[in-house]
Amino acid sequence: MGELELLHGYLIIGALLFGIGLVGFLARRNMIVMFLAAEMMLQGISVSLVAWGRFHNDWGGQMLVIFILTVAACEAAIALALVLMLFHSSGRLDVAVWQHLRESNQLPFVDQELPEAEVEEPVWPELTPAGVEPEHSLDEVVHRGHV
Amino acid sequence: MIPDLTPTQILTLTATVLTAVSLWLLLPRGGGRFARPIGVVLGLVALGLFVSRLSGLTNLGLGAEGLGAKIVFWVLAAITVVSAAGAVTMRSPVYCAIWFAMTLLGTAGLFLFQGAQFLGVATIVVYAGAILVTFLFVLMLAQSEGHAYYDRVSWEGLTSAAVGAVMIGVLTMVISDALAPTVPVDKADQAAAGEVVAKTAVVDPSTEEARAAEILSPQHMDHLGAQLFSKHLIAVEVAGTLLLVALVGAVAIAIQGKQMPKTAGGARHG
Amino acid sequence: MFEGDKIHLLMALIPALPLLSTLIVATFGKFVLRERSHLPVIAAMAGSFVLSLLLLYEVHNRTVLADEAYAKTETTDAAATDDHHAGDPTKKAVEEVYTLWTWAAVDKEYARGTENVDGTAAPADVAGKEFNFIVDVSLRADPLTAIMLCVVTFVSTLVMIYAVGYMHGDPSYWRFFTYMSLFVFSMTMLVSVSNFVMLYVFWEAVGVSSYLLVGFWFEKPSAVAAGKKAFLVNRVGDFGFAIAIFLIWVTYGTLNFHDTAATDTAPAVAGILGQLRLADPTLYVGGAVGLAICLCLLTGACGKSAQFPLHVWLPDAMEGPTPVSALMHAATMVTAGVYMIARCTPLFMASPHAQHAVAAVGGFTALFAALIAITQTDLKRVLAYSTISQLGYMFLGLGAGTVAGISAGMFHLFTHAFFKALLFLAAGSVMHAMGGVIDMRKIGGLRHLMPKTCWTFWFGALALSGVFPFAGFWSKDAIIAAAGVRGEEGPAATLYTVLFWASLFTAFLTALYTFRALFLTFYGRERIAPEAGHHAHESPSVMTLPLAILAFCALGAGALFDWHSIFANFLGHTPSLAYSAVAATASHGEHSHLGLAVFSTFVALSGVGLAAYLYLGDQIAVTKLTTWLSSPFGLRLYQLSYGKFFVDAIYQLIIVWPLQLLASVLGWFDRRVIDGLVNLGGHLPVRLGALLRPLQMGLLPFYALVMMLGTLVLIGTLFMWRA
Repeated sequence: MGELELLHGYLIIGALLFGIGLVGFLARRNMIVMFLAAEMMLQGISVSLVAWGRFHNDWGGQMLVIFILTVAACEAAIALALVLMLFHSSGRLDVAVWQHLRESNQLPFVDQELPEAEVEEPVWPELTPAGVEPEHSLDEVVHRGHV
Repeated sequence: MIPDLTPTQILTLTATVLTAVSLWLLLPRGGGRFARPIGVVLGLVALGLFVSRLSGLTNLGLGAEGLGAKIVFWVLAAITVVSAAGAVTMRSPVYCAIWFAMTLLGTAGLFLFQGAQFLGVATIVVYAGAILVTFLFVLMLAQSEGHAYYDRVSWEGLTSAAVGAVMIGVLTMVISDALAPTVPVDKADQAAAGEVVAKTAVVDPSTEEARAAEILSPQHMDHLGAQLFSKHLIAVEVAGTLLLVALVGAVAIAIQGKQMPKTAGGARHG
Repeated sequence: MFEGDKIHLLMALIPALPLLSTLIVATFGKFVLRERSHLPVIAAMAGSFVLSLLLLYEVHNRTVLADEAYAKTETTDAAATDDHHAGDPTKKAVEEVYTLWTWAAVDKEYARGTENVDGTAAPADVAGKEFNFIVDVSLRADPLTAIMLCVVTFVSTLVMIYAVGYMHGDPSYWRFFTYMSLFVFSMTMLVSVSNFVMLYVFWEAVGVSSYLLVGFWFEKPSAVAAGKKAFLVNRVGDFGFAIAIFLIWVTYGTLNFHDTAATDTAPAVAGILGQLRLADPTLYVGGAVGLAICLCLLTGACGKSAQFPLHVWLPDAMEGPTPVSALMHAATMVTAGVYMIARCTPLFMASPHAQHAVAAVGGFTALFAALIAITQTDLKRVLAYSTISQLGYMFLGLGAGTVAGISAGMFHLFTHAFFKALLFLAAGSVMHAMGGVIDMRKIGGLRHLMPKTCWTFWFGALALSGVFPFAGFWSKDAIIAAAGVRGEEGPAATLYTVLFWASLFTAFLTALYTFRALFLTFYGRERIAPEAGHHAHESPSVMTLPLAILAFCALGAGALFDWHSIFANFLGHTPSLAYSAVAATASHGEHSHLGLAVFSTFVALSGVGLAAYLYLGDQIAVTKLTTWLSSPFGLRLYQLSYGKFFVDAIYQLIIVWPLQLLASVLGWFDRRVIDGLVNLGGHLPVRLGALLRPLQMGLLPFYALVMMLGTLVLIGTLFMWRA
């Protein structure tokens, strides 16, 4: 395909990635998923940069993507450390917990109604009928404290 | 002052709107058992519309030798975009991370398709291999009991989707307008309408031979290294320092956190 | 040999010494001098007095020379006419002008037309010429100035010595002496300057000093109000004075009293009261312009000298310390108006109607104030109205327009300074002893407690009433005689006749109220006010010594200076009075008026007798009088007099109350509308901020959303207007 169409396609993809990442950043409340969406925005930019680099026969595009990569790595390290700290002080990864910077006479945002957790049906292991059914406690099966 | 919409622009707008709606439906919301399937369907339709927007597909008859390349490109693009949508809309953060890994694979493939070999590999190694793994570690450390409530709701879903969609639409239109091949019929119309859209057809700035010598040369890595350590040497050094600083900073932050009191529901340190 | 320099030095030093003492006490008084603040001031006053006497001697020498020159002209012209005063009267004039520096000079400021403001022809010497606006700080020495300087410095010295005792222990002791010496500086400069603008400057300066001193005890709201009232009422008069100055400038093209000699750039300009103009009285403008100038000058004089209707400030000014009342409101400041009219005699001579106005104002005020004074209960208020009344006499004398009348007016100023200052100082002594109480209903019978004050008060009262041979007799008598002579023939004779009889009745009333005050205060049952405490004793000698000196002046000054008309002759050498128009009036009234003298003494003694009848002894007659006054008619008369003829109330109604209303309306407007607008400007950002504040939710996704929206708007705009 021609260079122009290639460029066109890549730019559209870059725009799509950026847009999806944007939606994710704005819409999600889990801090880690928000950060993930930000990384996705960076990916979209990288795609566009590489496309431009090839189009103009310039190494600059790829150079910038290398540095984007580097910076994304640093950013990930620090951001995740901070997120961990925030989690430790509040116990939740919810970004709506941190509203302390609001104006003094504004009411805090409070969740009005939360959807019910989808309780998954506990998956019982199918055992052959022979033999005594072993005892099992409900907690052990349902509780998934640690992944 | 809104310019008269050409059919391609109407197409773009429709695609944008559909993207918005599909994303909104896909985002975690309470209620509606059919939200997700409908969202998936609509998203695929939107994707299809975007694809049709591009001239590449309509010119399938531009030579069979380009067909393979085109198919590869479209597959990679589809993987990337679908994975991106998935990464953003999953209910469990771990699933989001996995889908993101898929997106990175697609992006790496796209880089390789462009001839950026180093970047393709670097994306996998650094991004998917290091950054994403760090994500997963943190998710492990910061897991709440069961599915947390904040994973089940989205914040201002409609507005966010709308904003994202508008952003995509605007970008697409800008890009298309800037890169549209010369269509003589449209140009006369637009000139008559008074919209001075200064579009000379964007010309390919360099020749294939030049490309083969530089970006697409077999000694791609040599050239890349030479460029990196000659023209961008200072930036490399600074980036190295930045990495060091980030490392030290992350450690410092994490150590501080060790002394903070444990709160209810806080995870134990690994 | 050094004649010129010596007199110049005197002229400059006389006001310079009080100025120097003002600066010294102002700078060092509060912390360094404190209780000794009076030392520089008294030294300066005494020094000025001695220098004034020297100046008087110098001027006297010159008058002798001038008399010889006049005698020469007299004999040569005596053969020509048979009027035995023929001679060039301008030869008698004695003046010495010393220009210190030029304050303002604008070249070619004014091109005089050939017509006056009212359309009449301009005087010959100014018509069609161009004039430079020049204001010199120049001092003059002539008999009028010399007399005024002597009076001012003499009374000032005595009052300062008195004030050492009166103001003893006051926390603002140094401030008092600063202001007093500032006042003396202003007054000496006022009588010494030779320019209308400078006269206005020092006119205002004495007004300022009066304001500062009347409101000296500024913690007392009544004193503050009195100070303001004095200044504001003076301002009304000063406005008239300013109009007069403008008219003079426009008419005569100069503001100097003296002639300015020709220089390289400018021709000679005849001063308003200068020799060139006086030599040819046709150079004075009469008619409507002259009348306007003189009436405006009269307004200024009324303001300063407390004539009706601008007299209302003087009784209130008694809120100030008594030495202030004695110095300013008896002897010096209030006489500035009389001085000014005497100085501007040529202008008034050119406009006879103005002279009638002066006389009418004076005569009416004299009667008016005397009618109020007979019912007042505050001793100082009685003396204040007495001052107003006596000033009315002086105006009457000046308004007679004859050399006898003018000399009589100035002579009355001279003697009045002594006995009125004496009376005020004695009243101050009583007030000091009684702990600040001066209401005659609360004190009485003090002649045993304060004998020295009592007999000095007797001297002053006799002088004020005009009993032979005290000082007041000679001067008041001369005024009444001048009015009477004027009433015999000449224009407006009936007016002067009416004024003659009115002034005789006023003399009766003067004696009545003066001795009423004396008998109520010093005779009868001894009553000491409870506020007196341990003060109730005779005043210390530092206060009684000036009283004694002034008492002897009140006794002898009149006879001494009227013997062979020394005073009148000396005064006649002033340039304003030594010219043809004034000299022409001298031929009349040379006959002695012994009959009038006897009659006026009889009138005065009858007033004394009536006061004694009413207020001495058991005061049975007072009870009868009170019963009669309780009848409706009598009560109204009493209230009319006691209430000062309600002039203050009228002013309150027609001037003060509308102004206060206007001020409150404007104040409301200022507070609500203008401040409201400004406050609105302050509220708007607050409201805007309240509108924008919800943007700061504290939620990160919200911030990101808004950021993205902004970016979208930018991109969209760029996209739309991509031309």
